[in-house]
Amino acid sequence: MAETSLPTAPRARVRRLNLRLWLPLSWIGTLVVVALAAPWVAPHDPLAQDLFFERLPPFFLAGTEPGFWLGTDSLGRDVLSRMIHGARIALLVSVSAALITCIFGSALGLLAGYYGGWWDRVISRLVDIWMAFPPVLFAVLLVAVMGTGLTSVIAAIALIDWTRFARVIRAETMVQARMDYVDSARIGGARRLATLVGEILPNVLPSIIALLMLEMGIAVIVEAILSFVNLSISSDDPTWGSMIAEGRNAIHFAWWVLLFPLIALFLTVLSFSQLGEGLKQRFDPVLQ
Amino acid sequence: MTPPSMLDIRNLNVALLNGRPILRDVSLTVAPGEVRALVGESGAGKSMIGKAVLGILPRGLKVTSGEILLEGQPLHDLRPAARRRRVAEVAALIPQDPLTALNPVRRIGAQIVDPLIKIHGWARPAAQARALDLLHRVHIRAPERVMQSYPHELSGGMRQRVLIASAFAASPRLIVADEPTTALDVTVQKQILRLIRELQQETGTAVLFVTHDMGVVAKISQQVSVLFQGKVMEDAPTQAVFDAPDHAYTRALIAATPSYADPERPFSPVPQSLIAEMSAALAMEVRR
Ligand SMILES: Nc1ncnc2c1ncn2[C@@H]1O[C@H](COP(=O)(O)OP(=O)(O)OP(=O)(O)O)[C@@H](O)[C@H]1O
Ligand SMILES: [Mg+2]
Repeated sequence: MAETSLPTAPRARVRRLNLRLWLPLSWIGTLVVVALAAPWVAPHDPLAQDLFFERLPPFFLAGTEPGFWLGTDSLGRDVLSRMIHGARIALLVSVSAALITCIFGSALGLLAGYYGGWWDRVISRLVDIWMAFPPVLFAVLLVAVMGTGLTSVIAAIALIDWTRFARVIRAETMVQARMDYVDSARIGGARRLATLVGEILPNVLPSIIALLMLEMGIAVIVEAILSFVNLSISSDDPTWGSMIAEGRNAIHFAWWVLLFPLIALFLTVLSFSQLGEGLKQRFDPVLQ
Repeated sequence: MTPPSMLDIRNLNVALLNGRPILRDVSLTVAPGEVRALVGESGAGKSMIGKAVLGILPRGLKVTSGEILLEGQPLHDLRPAARRRRVAEVAALIPQDPLTALNPVRRIGAQIVDPLIKIHGWARPAAQARALDLLHRVHIRAPERVMQSYPHELSGGMRQRVLIASAFAASPRLIVADEPTTALDVTVQKQILRLIRELQQETGTAVLFVTHDMGVVAKISQQVSVLFQGKVMEDAPTQAVFDAPDHAYTRALIAATPSYADPERPFSPVPQSLIAEMSAALAMEVRR
């Protein structure tokens, strides 16, 4: 019998806690729970104004009132409650906008990268033309046409950012399409679409997931920016962006109104991008 | 009436879209159960012959004239879907590069079993048993474990064994083996070669065996076609070619092969002057 080597022993999967995965997951997990349970966990009504309690400092400073943990803004509204309700909007926008962007952009990228020819020419031209528009102008125009509101914000994000998915996934698909396993699948009788979905897609999935997470972070920022310039939902509703905008006016005597939503925004964006990388490594059997 | 050839290629011309010829009037036959070697230097177009037969020519290459008959049936008469089915039923490929010929994110077992179920209509348990049996036959120890492995967990030699098992799994009547040993180190090369010969003799499968090594030609084939820049220079029984090579290029190829039996025998590369002369002759032919 011929000499054979045994498969290399499956590398001992060290049950090392992967902080890159677990830290962002726990922040986002907390955010999700808090957002879902906002009416019950928020200590106050986020819209309730009380001019007796305006600009109360957070709990660790002097002159605070019990129950207003992170202080109040210039209308006496509770900052923590507004942040908790703001998380709802941030997550709603980021998840739905990123998913729509991802599905649309990745599908076009896969088709262009694998089918080539006409598909590729048309899609690549479209991407080029699209990217020639300044994105912020684009978003503002779109919201101006469609009117303010969550749907406009989501549509704006999808319309601006699908090109990122299309470009990256097209390039990755082209690399995979040159591999011999694609030929083998074809010789084995698989149709083109089946080859694309069954053989190539699983190989680009880790990249799609990483981009999706990144996009969720971007969507949170875009929503905040649009709220900041008052183009998101009505300015009464608590969003992190509008809180930051209002906090800016009072930064010298009530910095907490600006700082806490800013920290939440920062942590969320950072978590999504780290989660993307972490998941990519986790789900790629080759990188693992 | 003689039975039809397993594979019959008649005056096949393949060219780039800009008109540069890749294959020039290639004709060759493979009888049932026969091994035909296809030799030539790198870039001669050996792989393209195999790809044209299997219907996986890379984008940008077109069959400009000629025909390919599989078991007497002209393939160009078939619609693309029917053609693919036909090829999948009759033929299989042992690819050149075992590193990219297996899908990195799918388990070995699924990659062998799926085509048996989807194309050849086997029941899953039967297909699984068949895969195990073949992995066993290609001298893989612990085939159950290998079925559960991902490609990156196997060595190059093991992957090539898996690919051989996969090629023979559906009992094809024609196998295109595209330099199946080139990417492997010398000792593994010998084992793989022996294995293919064993299985070929056992199953009586016809093989189109692509190589650039005259030593391999002598060991494995009954017929040989010598290819130079897309043109068949010599087509004869292997024995005859070694006894009395007809063409100067064939003589040069034989002289360029180190001999295992007689390591002392001097060998010399194919002389540049001969290559230049033959290229010039081909160029003249095109102009006429
Ligand atoms: N995708 C492609 N586009 C354009 N030309 C190609 C493409 N693939 C191969 N060629 C050309 O076709 C010719 C034949 O290539 P082929 O791969 O058949 O060579 P080969 O004889 O198999 O060589 P090797 O021993 O290196 O595998 C080469 O001159 C190569 O430049
Ligand atoms: Mg080749």
